[in-house]
Amino acid sequence: MSFSTYLDGKRQDCRELVEALGKHFQYVSILGTDVTATVIRADRNMSMVQDGRGECGFVLKMHNGHSFIEYSLDDISGDKQALADQIIRETAIDAELQSRMIEAPVPTDEPMKQDFSRENDFADYDDASLLDTCKQLSADLISKDDKVLNAFAIIQPYHVSKLFITKNRELSQDYGWANGILMVIYNGEKMAQARFGDGASSIKEVLNILNGGLDQVIDLARHLAKAKPIEPGVYDVITDPSISGLIAHEAFGHGVEMDQFVKDRAMAKHCMGQYVASPITNMHDGAAATHSVASYFFDDDGVLAHDTQIIKDGILVSGLSDLASAEQLGTAPTGNGRRDSYKRKAYARMTNTFFEAGKDKLEDMIASIQHGYMLFETNNGMEDPKNWQIQCTAEYGIEIVDGKLTENYVSPVVMSGSVPDLLKSISMVSDNFKVIGAGMCGKGYKEWVRVSDGGPNLKVRVKLG
Amino acid sequence: MSNVIELLKQNSQLSGWRVNETATKSYELFFVHKNLETVRATDTVTTSVTVYVDHDGKKGESSFELSAAMGEAEAQKKIDAAVQRARLVFNEPYELPDGGELNKDLPSNMWDAEPQTLGRQIADAVFAADTVPDGSINACEIFLYKDTVRVRNSRGIDKTQRIGRVMIEAIPTFTEGTESVELYEDYRFTEFDPTKVTAEIARRMAEVRDRFQAKKPETPMKISVLLRPAEILEMLWTLVDDLNYAAVYSHGNLHKTGDNIQENSTGDKLTVTLKAQMPGSEKSSWFDTDGASFQDTRVIENGIVTSYFGSSRFGQYLNIRQPTGNLPCLKAETGTMAKTDMKAEPYLECASLSGIQVDLFNDYIGGEIRLAYCFDGEKTTPVTGISMSGKLSDVLKTMRLSREAVIEGAYEGPALLLMPQMKVL
Repeated sequence: MSFSTYLDGKRQDCRELVEALGKHFQYVSILGTDVTATVIRADRNMSMVQDGRGECGFVLKMHNGHSFIEYSLDDISGDKQALADQIIRETAIDAELQSRMIEAPVPTDEPMKQDFSRENDFADYDDASLLDTCKQLSADLISKDDKVLNAFAIIQPYHVSKLFITKNRELSQDYGWANGILMVIYNGEKMAQARFGDGASSIKEVLNILNGGLDQVIDLARHLAKAKPIEPGVYDVITDPSISGLIAHEAFGHGVEMDQFVKDRAMAKHCMGQYVASPITNMHDGAAATHSVASYFFDDDGVLAHDTQIIKDGILVSGLSDLASAEQLGTAPTGNGRRDSYKRKAYARMTNTFFEAGKDKLEDMIASIQHGYMLFETNNGMEDPKNWQIQCTAEYGIEIVDGKLTENYVSPVVMSGSVPDLLKSISMVSDNFKVIGAGMCGKGYKEWVRVSDGGPNLKVRVKLG
Repeated sequence: MSNVIELLKQNSQLSGWRVNETATKSYELFFVHKNLETVRATDTVTTSVTVYVDHDGKKGESSFELSAAMGEAEAQKKIDAAVQRARLVFNEPYELPDGGELNKDLPSNMWDAEPQTLGRQIADAVFAADTVPDGSINACEIFLYKDTVRVRNSRGIDKTQRIGRVMIEAIPTFTEGTESVELYEDYRFTEFDPTKVTAEIARRMAEVRDRFQAKKPETPMKISVLLRPAEILEMLWTLVDDLNYAAVYSHGNLHKTGDNIQENSTGDKLTVTLKAQMPGSEKSSWFDTDGASFQDTRVIENGIVTSYFGSSRFGQYLNIRQPTGNLPCLKAETGTMAKTDMKAEPYLECASLSGIQVDLFNDYIGGEIRLAYCFDGEKTTPVTGISMSGKLSDVLKTMRLSREAVIEGAYEGPALLLMPQMKVL
């Protein structure tokens, strides 16, 4: 698949609308999006091949000499001056509120013209073959154990085309990503749901992931059907890469989104240059930091992708910004301006967020624990950037006794406590590393974007309940 | 986009079709402290088309989205592709719901309001609560929406409803010196009453001051935990989601009709009715995404599962004569304990949680508490830095529901739910 022919045909319309609005505003950008998503899914009873959550439309970002104005719309064809007049009319501001607008510098509009593209193999697979694959995976899972009540196999490729135009800048990008998920409903000692999944930039890789996960998800279902609740307490814990990523994301990622600095909502604003984690901790975020689901070429503000080191040897060194927060803080934007869709505002958002690998061997980390748990698979998490509290829920944990993993599974496991206490308790970091690109992230309870997170195994001490 | 209906009607390969269209106009204000950072407006239409193809004794379906900018040729291409996809799908047959035209607004006093003026009035009502010494509203986002939702299908459904709704996201904050804490407020309404908005934000401003003063109590402890409506709703929806026709059909449900979910109960019995509408709730609706009318349905009575609920399609799969529609609002009957009695013994009342975790399969309920009020038998103090957990089945067996009722968002029911003997760490 290549760049959207629809957006390609709208380049001149975009330029003309930018020019028309430029007579009224000191800065104008337009972002056109054409995102197509497909859901292919099969289970015991049903199947599905249809469009997933895509988008196609435009959003304008303007600066009126004081601050920012945005307008989202579906189509920009027709008389551009009339459309510009409509946009000016509909974004008008009550006089009293106008007098309370902040004073943010007008963004610089550095000249750049470039088209970015990343190849994918989506065109090599048709709907019929992918649906057959899902049906076969579902059937294979069901046939593995008569306690499997149902089994779902899902493949979700999506393809992104975005066009960004200002007076001096014209960028386009297209890239794809695909997620694969297996889920089993199992009726053992109790009902259990087991999930397995990951994403990749090629469908071929996703199919390999799914085929390699069949036995793993069945084994997990059998164990979860016997899982007990955990006795609440403070434990030594080893995290798998997805839980390490969840900690990176919830504990610190949200706290360094610099629109929160502007609003005095983040403790991290006051901790730049200070130790916030153990000295063996290094953490990154960025669309260019690794190759995963959020590896775009430029963000929704037209800023090129970065690799931002957030924590270096335990010291907080940088935050993540969108254009508006960077302008207000007088810093350079880090390429983290992202929108839920063209219908929503751009905020400072995470992309691919992870801890760097360390030097420890996982087996040594497990061996170092007399009694504790190894936690696996993200369920959900919630940030609290101001007060640095954390809640992260793992799908399950396995008890460690005398330095060895046991057969005792606990589920679910809610990890909570103070972010600095948690990060400063990191005592070992494994030499392996994985980023998982199948997640979605909200800001508060809305504004969903695709993100990845991960890292190595961490040894921490934390409250579980 | 009206042409797409004609294209669908003319397509002889289709056994049915459905078009869902949501037109949204919004006006949005984003404040940093009391100052305006960004103003947004949107004018968008989302059109989703579903085609149905009966083949080989089965039913295939596939959906796609139509962009407003798409011409007739592109729409035809999309339809043709969806027909091919639907032919790959072999699902059990079912009928689309039929009958009925409707054009009815949901109650709102904001539909005709001029957005710039209404936005300023709402902002004034929010910031009128910013009067707590050392308190502030560090961020506030105000979203004014006007939605027109229309569903049409090949069996004659053509229903339209309009709703005016507002969402406020505000961040009440309390600061002394270099120490500062915040809470998160998400307040939604369909009827604008500035007094209510100010009162709601003021309540949170008082709570954030309490969070600043809150201390971590001695732990571990076992104590009765009181939940407020937002968390009660979350807990009850987890129970109720399990009773959706789709969950039953996919073998993903834990409870079946006739099951007692409160076996050997020593507390108050649950009676839950799902409803189409709740006064003031943005979730209220005249019809579901199929265009089917709702049937308000009691799903749990005195702790016994009495009924499932859900969409027309999955209802037919379960041989339900009159499917209920995917009902969006929930009413729980009140209990037998007065709020004053609940608070006569030691308790922990949760005012702010990171997000209550309710896991039906793993029999778990818990969460991290950002602010709670702890009564030790003598005095009440704000507490923080703790988490609570317990077995969901134990909670269902022993819980007490308040006599007093509230209506809040899509919930009507007890103002408080008491969970005895919860572990707090």
